[in-house]
Amino acid sequence: MTSAVPPPVRSEVLLLFRSLLRTSREFADYNIREYTKRRTIDAFRQNRDLSDPSAVVAAFSDGKSQLEVARRQVIVHSLYAPKVKSVMEIKH
Amino acid sequence: MASALKAAALRHIRVPVSPTLPLNGSRLNLCGTVRSMSSHGDDHLTKEEVIDRVIDVLKSFPKVDSTKVTPEVHFHKDLGLDSLDTVEIVMALEEEFKLEIPDKEADKIDSCSLAIEYIYNHPMAG
Repeated sequence: MTSAVPPPVRSEVLLLFRSLLRTSREFADYNIREYTKRRTIDAFRQNRDLSDPSAVVAAFSDGKSQLEVARRQVIVHSLYAPKVKSVMEIKH
Repeated sequence: MASALKAAALRHIRVPVSPTLPLNGSRLNLCGTVRSMSSHGDDHLTKEEVIDRVIDVLKSFPKVDSTKVTPEVHFHKDLGLDSLDTVEIVMALEEEFKLEIPDKEADKIDSCSLAIEYIYNHPMAG
């Protein structure tokens, strides 16, 4: 018997979105930082109009696991941070 | 020389009370007591500065039509942005002003005027 997980409310989704963006800001590497930001924005925008509740739950849990991945990777990458800043980060 | 020392000591004592004295000489000693983000004595951003920078951030957002941006514009009603865009804009404002806006406050910001109000009233806006 499948237990129905209630689909996340709007505020939870926005909270996940914000947490992902905040976590992506902590990356030391410019490329990874920008990629994570782009990817979250694209993914959330793509899944914006899901109507099937099980699909919504699946996407939300996927997002949460990605958040955990990102948080771990921030720590790991900070151990081996690039010594030279990317050219895009040089302020003109 | 004694008078110079005395003047320096007086400056040290007075700095926490008066924000207009220069902090360059005493910054090392009083970093704990005086919280100031800027080194030129001006403690806080002016409203015009805040408005200008917020408008710039809004205009540089790709989805925003820069001709429609005014200080009173509403993200959803006037600019046609959805809640994801609003979160993005609030994050961009956080980066611009070096702030950490808590989620509860960030949810309430859904127009340009609210953003300007919040940032202007925030003591740590940089």
